Parts: sequence; C-alpha cells; structure tokens
Amino acid sequence: MKLGISLAAITVTALVAAGCGSSSSSKSSATSASSTQAAGGGSGSKSCTASIGIEAPLTGQVAVLGQEQLAFAKLAIQDDNKANGTNITLVQGDTQLMPAQATTVTQQFISNSKIVGVVGPAGSQEVEAVGPLFGRAGLVFISGSATNPTLTSSGKNPTFFRTVSRDDVQGPEDANFVVKHLHPKNLMIVDDQEVYSTGLVSAMMPIFQKAGIKVDHESVSQKVTDFSSLVAKVSSDTTVVVLPWQVAANGQQFGKNLAEQHKNATIVGTDGMFSPSAFTTPGSYVSSFGPDITAIPADASIVQAAKTAYPKFGTFGPPVYAATHVLDEAIASACKSGTATRSSVLSAVKQTSEPTSILGQPIHFDTRGDLIAAKWFLFKINPQGKYTLVTNS
Amino acid sequence: MTKFTQELVNGLTQGGLYALVALGYSMVYGVLKLLNFAHGDLYMVGAFVGYFVLQWFGGPTALAVPVPIVLLAMFLLAGGGVGALGVAIERFAYRPLRDAPRIAPLITALGVSFLLENTMLLLFGASYRDYNTSAFISFSTGIHIGALNIDIVRIMVIVLSVALMIGLRLLVSRTQLGRQMRAVASDREAAEMLGINVDYTISATFFLGSALAGIAGVMAGLVFNQIYTLMGFIIGLKAFTAAVVGGIGSIPGAMLGGFLIGIAEAFITGYVSSTYTNLIVFGILIAFMILRPSGLLGRVQLQKV
Repeated sequence: MKLGISLAAITVTALVAAGCGSSSSSKSSATSASSTQAAGGGSGSKSCTASIGIEAPLTGQVAVLGQEQLAFAKLAIQDDNKANGTNITLVQGDTQLMPAQATTVTQQFISNSKIVGVVGPAGSQEVEAVGPLFGRAGLVFISGSATNPTLTSSGKNPTFFRTVSRDDVQGPEDANFVVKHLHPKNLMIVDDQEVYSTGLVSAMMPIFQKAGIKVDHESVSQKVTDFSSLVAKVSSDTTVVVLPWQVAANGQQFGKNLAEQHKNATIVGTDGMFSPSAFTTPGSYVSSFGPDITAIPADASIVQAAKTAYPKFGTFGPPVYAATHVLDEAIASACKSGTATRSSVLSAVKQTSEPTSILGQPIHFDTRGDLIAAKWFLFKINPQGKYTLVTNS
Repeated sequence: MTKFTQELVNGLTQGGLYALVALGYSMVYGVLKLLNFAHGDLYMVGAFVGYFVLQWFGGPTALAVPVPIVLLAMFLLAGGGVGALGVAIERFAYRPLRDAPRIAPLITALGVSFLLENTMLLLFGASYRDYNTSAFISFSTGIHIGALNIDIVRIMVIVLSVALMIGLRLLVSRTQLGRQMRAVASDREAAEMLGINVDYTISATFFLGSALAGIAGVMAGLVFNQIYTLMGFIIGLKAFTAAVVGGIGSIPGAMLGGFLIGIAEAFITGYVSSTYTNLIVFGILIAFMILRPSGLLGRVQLQKV
C-alpha cells in the first residue's frame, strides 16, 4: 500500500514537473472528443437564429489540422454575425479523420433540427461516408479540404460543396511540375492508404508514365511513424519522392530518415502536407489548394485575428473560413425571405456569388458543387524551413 | 549486402522497441493473466516525459548540460515516472478487480488506455512534438561505410534494448524478487500461503514492465522524433502481437517476438513491398495462433481434470 501511494506521488510529481518544463505552446487549448456547442460570438439580433455544424478532426493524429479549421470557422461566424446581425452558433463534431466517427457525428447533426448547414468534413474518405446521409436529410455541407474528384462527379453527394480545387487540378499540376522542373529519371511515390492519397496517385501516375519516368509505387499506413525501411529502398538515382499524405509530421519524419541515410531525394508533398509548423524539410516542395493569406492585403484584418486565435495557421483554415462564410451568408439570405431552413439554406448556397473572398478569388459553385476556377499553389521550403511561393495556377 | 545490413539495423531498432513494450505485456499477463491494453499508452507517456526533460535542460538546440547527462536524465525520469504510473494504475484500477470475472479488468484496461490518451491530450494539446534529435546528436556520428549509414541513435537503441532485456532476464532468474514473481505467476494462492507478499510482487512487476515501456517511449522519440498522444496505439498492437508470437507470459519469448516482428517488417518493406507489410506480419500472427497457440517459447497450459 505504502509503495503504491509513494510511487503514485512520484508519478504525479514527475508529470507536474514535466508540465512545468514545457514551452508555452504546450499549453494549447484542450479539445473535446464529443460534440459540443460553442457560441458564435456574434452580437446581432435574435431574429435570424440558426446553428452550423463543423465536422473536423479535433483530436487524433491530425488534430492540428482540425483545430486550425475550427479556429477559422469560429472567426468567420464571429465576423459574419457582426456584419449581418445574425445569431449563428457553431456546433462542434470531432471526426478524428475517420469515416466511422464522421458517420456518427453526421447522424447527431441530422437529428439536431437547429443545424441548417455543416462545414466539413475534412477528409475525402469521410465525405464519401457521410455524403448520402446528408443528401437524404437535405442538409448542405461544404468542405474546406476534401479534394477527391469523385465526391462531386459521382452524383452520390447532392448536397456537397467545396471551397478548394479538386485532385484532378492538384494531382496533374503537381505531376507536371515534377516532370518539367525536377526532371527525375526514377521516382518513388508513396500513398498512405487513404482515399485522398490513392486518388492523387491515380491522377499523377499517367503523367509520370507518359514522361517515361520509372516509378516505384509504395504504400504505407498513415499510422506508421518510421520510414527507415522504405527510405532504404530509395536508390541513388531516385531523385524525387512524392508523398501525397495527410499527416505532415510523417512527411517530416520521412525527410529525417532520408537525411539519416544520406539520401538526397527531393520530397514533393501535396496539400495534406502543407504545414509550416510540422513539415519543414529544406528543399522540399508542397502544393496547396489554399493561398498564403498573409500575402493577400485584403485579408490583413483576418490574418491579425487568426494569429491570435491560432498562431501557427497554414492553408487548412482559410478555405474553412470561406466555407463558413458561404453558409453564414446563405442563412442571412434565407432569413431575409422568411426562416432559415435546411432547404432554403441549400438553395441559397447553390446561388452563392461572392465577387471576392479570403482566398483571393471569387466564390461560385458549378452544378456539381465544385468551386469554379479553383486555384492551385506550389511552395518551396527554404533552408530556414520557411515556405515561399514558387508558382500557382 | 549494404541494403540487407541497413534493413537489418532498421528491423532491430524497431524490434527492440516492440520487445521492450512486449515485455511489459508478457510480465503483467504472467502474474495477473491480464491483457493490459493501457501498456502502449505508458510508452506514449514515457515519450512525453522524455520530451519535457529535454526541454527542461534548454531544448534540443540549446542544451545547458552535456548530452550524456541529458539522455541519462530522460531515461531515468521516464522510466521511474512511468513505472510509478504503472504501479498507481495497478493499485487503483486493477487491484479492486483482481477477483472479478476476467472481462472486468480487460474492459478497465481499455478504459485506462482512453483515460491516459485523453488526459495527455487535455494537458498538453494535440500538436505533434519534435525531439529534433539531429540538433544535439548529429547524423554524421555513427557508422558510414559506402551506402550503409547507421545512425548512432539507432546503435544506442539496439544496445540499450538488449542490455535492458538481459538485465531483466537476470533479475527474474537470479534475484529474490524474480523468484517471487515466478512463484506468483505460477500459482498466486500457493505463493501467498508460502508467505510471499503478492501485492508487493505484482506492484513490482507493474513497475518494471511500465518502466521499460517508458524508456522505450524515450527511445522512440530519439529515433523517430515525432511524438503525439495517440502514438501508443499502434505499437501497443504490434507489441501485443510480438508477445503472442513469442509466447505470452514468457520473457525470452517477448524479446524474440519483438525482434522477429521488427525484422520481418523491415525486410518485407525493403524486399517485397510496403503495401504488404501489415498483411504479412498479421498473417504470421494468425499462422502462429493456428499452428502453435502457445507461441514460440510459451508453455502449453495444463488443464486440471
């Protein structure tokens, strides 16, 4: 008994000491694994009251991404409540980037009659799982990061929209950049066994093959965190490794494994790897569906607020801000002609016509729910680990 | 040959970590017949303790004391702290259920696993943390012959894992505590009648098993750099597989199973395809269960009739 109590005391002391030794960043906000309701923060009239749900990976392996999306959704609601005099609140749902979890959250949202629109989910695999459910409920949902083309082309998700470009923009653009500017003879491409990743590989492979590049296609689970065995397969004449992954920290580890084994291949990551805080391997390239909003003068006030709300933001937050703003405006528009219902908000989203946005481009959706004239951006990581824009479409 | 050696070192590094975690699974199963599903999370807590000790000494880029002292402090505090946490878990979560039906402590173990994961999430947030080992232990140190590159950290992990396993083996086979542990594992009631303090022995077993997991967590941080609150899940699963392949309850079996799984993963990835790694590794587990349910070095349980 005495042994147990004294050892328990040592444990608590060790953990407290560990906490005291942490940097300020370690004291990031706590996350909730269950759906919770958060005030939108607006001070507008109560005549237009509604709720928006957000499905994002708030905990789990890519919680960094989800927390950024949540911070930007809150900012959008705060700004729009103030501008429109609405009283929109945000209901949080944690999907952990897992389709099964997303399905559970979706059922909860559908049964919550106050929710008239949803932002998210983040991953293509999740949209695939929840799209038919939202469709049957007539509930509009707008993702700020799901890029798989089939989500809109299959016709299975009639109430789905997105504020980002599709993989058939990003995939070919990335592949063409590799072919034209990096000139590899041999190349390794590694998917992470998720719909997002395999979709991008399918979009890139024909371009690499057409260019006569010898491609070693590998596949590794998102949950793996050591790539030393895979890196040992990178031959000396393999000059490029393409990683269409969703976990940026895994890309960083791949870069460290390359350095450890003195391999000089250049990493090319897709939008899932875009994270100036987690992926900083010098010389690598990362593409993104979102711009660097710090370089857009019109976004200065949002950037300032975002730096307070989520200091290390990347490109996952701004498209979610845009998605939330579209819903906010649709709710305000529906309220003007009566009450904001699921069907009236869906109709209003379809008619969205924003001449400009946080993304530095207009927002109009085509009949399938895709963003018209969606852009693509490519960044290079410099020796200091900073992202610099190389090109964009 | 270079690739073979490189993959062998990769496999031994990963296998050493699997083995250290598998030892905890096996030891606890030996004395309590409990599958402690929270064991992978103790590995995660160890990685975090090591990380914060590193920060306390100034962080990877500005260490205030020599590297060996920092490493020693990381291993000792992670081992001691996580060992104590293991004892506390046994005392408050498992001991009250010692005579309950087996399913009760099993479910409790899952609950403790979630409790640890989410407590750490609440305390320290969801962000990945980076040991940034190369900032204080250069990649250039180690063995570099032609295309073969073996980092000094990997060498350290392999040597330390083997040393810890040998130490544990000696402790169990040659000390009073080891004899008590074997007696409790063999027949708890008989051991108690012979005057062995069963509670103390079980607590000591939890301390040792958990301390090894905590040390393995620091090793993982040093080799793989990135740590996060869910990192214990997958290694817990692999270590459990290793313990079963080796023969759950058997200490040499857990070591052997850990290294076998690690080396198998490395060679399958290197010579077949990373696509099939998990398929083949878990296929091995199923084959073992069918052909040799007691594992490589496990003993067949005698049925009393």
